[in-house]
Amino acid sequence: MNPAVRRSLRFVPLLLLPLVPLVDHNNSHIDFLANAGAFILLALGLNIVVGFAGLLDLGYAAFFAIGSYSYAMLASQQFGIHVPFWVMLFAASGIAAIFGILLGAPTLRLRGDYLAIVTLGFGEIVPQTFLNLSQYTNGPNGISSLDSPSLFGHRFGFSATPYFYVMLGLIVIGVLLASNLQNSRLGRAWMAIREDELAARHMGINTTAAKLSAFALGASFSGLAGVAYAAKLDLVSPDQFQFNVSVLVLSMLVLGGMGNIPGVIVGSFALSFINSFLLPQSTNLVHSIGLTWIDFTDYRFMLYGVILVAMMLFRPEGLIPSRQRRAELREALTDPGISAQEQTEYEGAAR
Amino acid sequence: MRLGSALARLSAAGLIAALLAACSPSSTTTQSTSTSSAAPVAAAAGNVIKIGVELPLSGGDASNGIPTRNGVILAVEESNKTAIPGGFSYAVDDLDDAVQGKHDPALGAQNTKTFISDAAVLAMVGPFNSNVAKAEIPLTNDAQLTQISPSNTSNGLTQGDDGRKLRTSHPELNSFFRVCTTDDHQGAADAAFAKKLGFKAVFIVDDNETYGKGLADVFEAQFKKGGGTVLGHEHLNAGQTDFKALLTKAQNLRPDVVFFGGTTVSGGGLLRKQMGDSALKAVAYVGGDGISDDTFLKTAGTMANGSYYTVAAPETSKLASAKTFVANYKKRFGVDVGPYSANAYTAAMIEIAAINKAITVAGNKMPARVDVTKGVAATKGFVSPIGTVGFDANGDTTAPILSLYKISGGKAVFVDQVNLKT
Amino acid sequence: MDVFYQQLINGLSLGGIYALIALGYTMVYGIIELINFAHGDVYTLGTFFSLAILTGLGVSGEVHGLALVGVVLVTMLAAMLLCGITGVLIERLAYRRLRNAPRLAPLITAIGMSFILENVMQLWKGPSPISFPAVIPNPSFQAGGVEIAAKQILVIVLAIVMMVALQLFIRNTKMGKAMRATAQDRDAAQLMGININTTIAMTFLIGSALAGAAGFVSGVYYGTTWFFNGFEAGLKAFTAAVLGGIGNVAGAMLGGFLIGLVEAFATQYIPQGAQWTNVVVFSVLVLVLVFRPSGLLGEAVPEKV
Repeated sequence: MNPAVRRSLRFVPLLLLPLVPLVDHNNSHIDFLANAGAFILLALGLNIVVGFAGLLDLGYAAFFAIGSYSYAMLASQQFGIHVPFWVMLFAASGIAAIFGILLGAPTLRLRGDYLAIVTLGFGEIVPQTFLNLSQYTNGPNGISSLDSPSLFGHRFGFSATPYFYVMLGLIVIGVLLASNLQNSRLGRAWMAIREDELAARHMGINTTAAKLSAFALGASFSGLAGVAYAAKLDLVSPDQFQFNVSVLVLSMLVLGGMGNIPGVIVGSFALSFINSFLLPQSTNLVHSIGLTWIDFTDYRFMLYGVILVAMMLFRPEGLIPSRQRRAELREALTDPGISAQEQTEYEGAAR
Repeated sequence: MRLGSALARLSAAGLIAALLAACSPSSTTTQSTSTSSAAPVAAAAGNVIKIGVELPLSGGDASNGIPTRNGVILAVEESNKTAIPGGFSYAVDDLDDAVQGKHDPALGAQNTKTFISDAAVLAMVGPFNSNVAKAEIPLTNDAQLTQISPSNTSNGLTQGDDGRKLRTSHPELNSFFRVCTTDDHQGAADAAFAKKLGFKAVFIVDDNETYGKGLADVFEAQFKKGGGTVLGHEHLNAGQTDFKALLTKAQNLRPDVVFFGGTTVSGGGLLRKQMGDSALKAVAYVGGDGISDDTFLKTAGTMANGSYYTVAAPETSKLASAKTFVANYKKRFGVDVGPYSANAYTAAMIEIAAINKAITVAGNKMPARVDVTKGVAATKGFVSPIGTVGFDANGDTTAPILSLYKISGGKAVFVDQVNLKT
Repeated sequence: MDVFYQQLINGLSLGGIYALIALGYTMVYGIIELINFAHGDVYTLGTFFSLAILTGLGVSGEVHGLALVGVVLVTMLAAMLLCGITGVLIERLAYRRLRNAPRLAPLITAIGMSFILENVMQLWKGPSPISFPAVIPNPSFQAGGVEIAAKQILVIVLAIVMMVALQLFIRNTKMGKAMRATAQDRDAAQLMGININTTIAMTFLIGSALAGAAGFVSGVYYGTTWFFNGFEAGLKAFTAAVLGGIGNVAGAMLGGFLIGLVEAFATQYIPQGAQWTNVVVFSVLVLVLVFRPSGLLGEAVPEKV
């Protein structure tokens, strides 16, 4: 087949995704996809911090909380402020980015796991603070009845479908942004820092600026995700942003293949699928193939742990690792069967 | 890395997964005495009616959700042994709203949508946590699917402006009910009892969760109103096991009673036990129905004596049906009941009774959800292990009686009861 | 002023438990640079094992006299042994293969192991908290307006004793030397003839045994246990290890006591302080690390170019 045709066929699934809600009328499936979409955004953001810049962040849920609470405080009855949803998307990603810089600043001199524990600390401090300042945040009850977004006068309501499209759009934007960042000077600075920070600094890279940018940009993604997620759920509460969420997003990255955007997306989706679909429905799936005496209810937690361990033991570099791609490209360079144009393209990408 | 292929891979993955999701069956049948064949989405399989159970069932929250779910299982199994009109049988369909061990409102909402799109589900029991309920009530209201919570006590779920806002689609027909009393009733009763028992200065502790903090806040306000002094009001951290520092702070203020808002598991039991190692040994302890279970007796040990708690049921709830329930539960599951098992059992029984009635009215055919909801809303004088249950227009229980118990000699002794006029 | 000293005792005994758990964390991290998230759950497992042994011995309340010594020794040592074996098994099954994998892979595996252990314990003893026999009589002593319970003394003393014993072991035994060598430079150690696999396994054995001891002590001290206990305690203990300087045994103990003290004083002196203890602890951590990036007692390792 003509390689140009083959390459353009890859875009077909992208065009088909928006049709899913028209085909599948079960709103809980669309609901799941929209929720999974939010987590894909989170994973893309964390990928910038951990995957690109190599900064181990164990408290990413803090930024998710900041994004969501920004929406709850600025677009609801809580303080009587009603910033429109579409404006909040920008505003919250900005607010989150600022906090990214604030929380990243103390970590600049720390190496490896010390940085990890400080980020973990922030991951504990932020939701606890939201919980404790109950006169502003309603404490454990959280803030509900948030403003419903509307597009051209059409309000969003309960159906997950409009949120599905919003998430899809945000993911496309996110992928474009992350991809461009990866191939930019900043992206290469991150790669240098990740590989050897001292050498990078001596080559003239402003490591402080690069690291802070990584935190800020990574956090801005979670600002976006936070706003969309809060609007969809119509609720924010502190116990949605605990350590387990930070661990979940990190696991998505590692499972999918850190630093590699398609890998991150696949890993994120896989874990969302496992966590909120496969495991809860595990008993039912097994029943539907006739093994009606098996009940997984009491084993869900263990199954999840086994899946994590198994995936790491058999493929610790992730489902779609980035090194492999580079190796592929290197093979292609020595293969005489490719055209000169493709050769140039490959060389450009491998650099 | 090429952008095009990134997007392409993304969409391919998404499409495959979406197809997988669409093809998998959407509801579970567990612990049922009758099996159901693989139900295609949105079609009721044969004559099985499912009671959806939406609770946190894994990880840390499992200690709340599992004993509660078991109450529903017991109710369904007992009902299946009786004659059900139309030849139907009941099954429990439980979905877990805990993500990595913590209840998650988003997963709760998703699970609710799963129940809504399964025509065999005619009623729901759950959720456990008030913040999950906030995400779910608008959905069940929209679908007119009966939802009874065994444990949501937050007033804002049904009353006032907050309650009205949640009933967006059908403000005229409430579909969310609860069999537990609300914070304002229990908190007020607790304050009144504390005053009656002669306590003047209280130190309040709560677990900073929706139930515990809600209860403690009402108690504080009412106790002050009744002329008492509140020496301090502190909140615990989740998972805290060491309260010595807090108790040292408290004993310095010399309270004559300590009030706890929360459950045994969230600190109520251990706090009481550790009081025994402090200068507060002889000080009394008052709590709500969260510490009314046997686990409290076990956790607090000898210090359980001298504790008071309230339950939203008349004293005669130590009546035959309650004793029978506790015994049957122990026999079926091998462990003691949890603090909300009886509530969940009652909730399921109310739903089953309403469904049975609706089946008959529909001519022994599968009834419509709205008819079940109307039937539940009309519940009055339903006899259960937690007393006589009925619902008011908001879906709150009309049980006006709150009983106070004191633990002495390792046993709960009835002390007093109050009749709140609603 | 009495309140201050009382809170001091409270903080030290709380910190003692953290210190015991932190010792194991720091040992494992020092040698293979792995944050062993399953360590907190091995600690809880220690409590569960102790409970099983005590039930087997027929102990349900306090024990007195010579029998007390016997019961404590048997239970604690057995729990330590069982936990040590568990730790070695976990390392063998889950972590060994990933020694050369990207750094985050063993981290995720550790998290997975943690979930597995938690679920096993949930299945073993149920999802609700269970009570633990008192075992040791708990008379209180008055010392100048301050009340100290016997169990509080036990916890503090045990933490110090374990730290000293561990320090002696690492400094003076051949295996200890092997551990230090492996921690410093794994490849060089191997070239010097040290069996890396055995050394690492030994590290896990000792670290997990310490967690088992902590589990026994915690059960006796609090009188209750729960399958999900280890999560929170493990997090605090890891913070303690980092605070003291990761890889440093005395630092782990210091970090543990420090965190306990911070919690106790925060509770007392901050208005409504009980809800802010975690925030304060982590803020202290951040401040310490900003001014001393390698922890309180950690060596400032110069970066070699």
